[in-house]
Amino acid sequence: MQETTYQKDPNIVFRKIADEVILVLIKQDVGDFQSVYTLNEVAARIWELIDGERKVKEIKDKIVEEFEVTPEEAEKDLAESLQKLEKFEGIKEV
Amino acid sequence: MECPHIPIIKYAQFSERLSKQVLAKRIPISGSFEFTFRCNLRCAHCYCNLPLNDQDAIEKELTTEEVFDIFDQIAEAGCLWLLLTGGEPLVRKDFLEIYTYAKKKGFLISLYTNGTLITPEMADYLIQWPPYEMEITLYGATEETYERITGIPGSFKRCQIGIDLLLGRKLPLKLKTMVMNLNCDDLWKIKEYAERLGVEFRFDSELNPRLDGSNNFNNLRLSPEEVLKLDLDDEKRTKTWRDICARLIRPFQSDKLYLCGAGVSSFHIDPYGQMSVCMLSRFQSYDLHLYSFKEVWDGYIPEHLTLKAQGDYPCGQCELISLCGRCPGWAWLENGDLEAPVEYLCQIAHLRAAAFNTKHKEVKENGDERKDAKTVPEAANTSG
Repeated sequence: MQETTYQKDPNIVFRKIADEVILVLIKQDVGDFQSVYTLNEVAARIWELIDGERKVKEIKDKIVEEFEVTPEEAEKDLAESLQKLEKFEGIKEV
Repeated sequence: MECPHIPIIKYAQFSERLSKQVLAKRIPISGSFEFTFRCNLRCAHCYCNLPLNDQDAIEKELTTEEVFDIFDQIAEAGCLWLLLTGGEPLVRKDFLEIYTYAKKKGFLISLYTNGTLITPEMADYLIQWPPYEMEITLYGATEETYERITGIPGSFKRCQIGIDLLLGRKLPLKLKTMVMNLNCDDLWKIKEYAERLGVEFRFDSELNPRLDGSNNFNNLRLSPEEVLKLDLDDEKRTKTWRDICARLIRPFQSDKLYLCGAGVSSFHIDPYGQMSVCMLSRFQSYDLHLYSFKEVWDGYIPEHLTLKAQGDYPCGQCELISLCGRCPGWAWLENGDLEAPVEYLCQIAHLRAAAFNTKHKEVKENGDERKDAKTVPEAANTSG
């Protein structure tokens, strides 16, 4: 998994409004379009770092560097977030 | 297990969660955008419809690129809920281009249409790029009633086809109607039709004046007594008005003209790029060809919101203000005066209070009618 690279589905729009960060699903075949996927600070940063080029381990290193978390905590946060994003096809392995 | 970092919630819940932040920070979370004032129908009551081929209107309308630019700006400013309306928005040749651009900006789109221009191809496209919600106004339960209002033969059938096409694809459709003396006999049949289709239905019984100031609405309006009767005949509305009366009738004292969310969390943009605080308050608007959205929102609108009554302002002392449809925009359209009461709405508010508010009834029965009920002068009907 550490070597995996992900890319985002272009039919998901990332919005920052007030203190909220959300993913808006804009096409029918992506997730539940009557629901909103809200992201906490770590998940929002993970989403920003997914660019089709960075490997998971590079994203983890960035999270450790930018947030006050241990590598183990970062790995757990990352695994949970990526699993969720993959589940509604917000991201795909490259 | 639910991921703690990316919880999923319904948009309504999200909206509640956002509301405090939005008001405190004055974020333009909600906007309405009129694509065009032109329409393929000729509705008797419509406040803005222009003929389909009105060259002056076509020339003045924002170009596709100008609309895109405005969408970029409002997204940047924090707009999430965007109402696309008209006129009839589907008459613009670039409708799908603009709609798709709005989708890609991440707006949650409400689309208001008369439904008569929906084709199978359009419906297929919309389900691929679904709006948050769609609303069609159904003016009658029969061809005769519907076309008495729209003035276009064949429009009833086309509207029904449009509804079927959208529902066949499970688009999030709601129906509504504007009740006037031309269609009030059909109201409950329209409601039954909506219920049979399994879609939400709502109606508006208070007709507002046209934007051009022409005085063609008075002969179409229901009387205040008829408006009240509809409230009483509808169980859900009765409950809503009882609740509003119980919660919101209270002593009131303010000389501020704007008391709603207009300009605080919402805005309006017309087909020619004129931005105002809401659809009705167009007496003060700002040209987005000359100013950026941010310049208007941050620089001009705040001043607009501080407008205070200069003269005698009975509405500012009326305990029924929260159940009255009057606002500075409506007062301007109807009376040409921001501060004047709108007699029609005033009568409706007093009838509703008498019918739905126990406390108000007791006061009246004791012969101690409130000051507000007596101080409302005859509104000068100077519109037109």
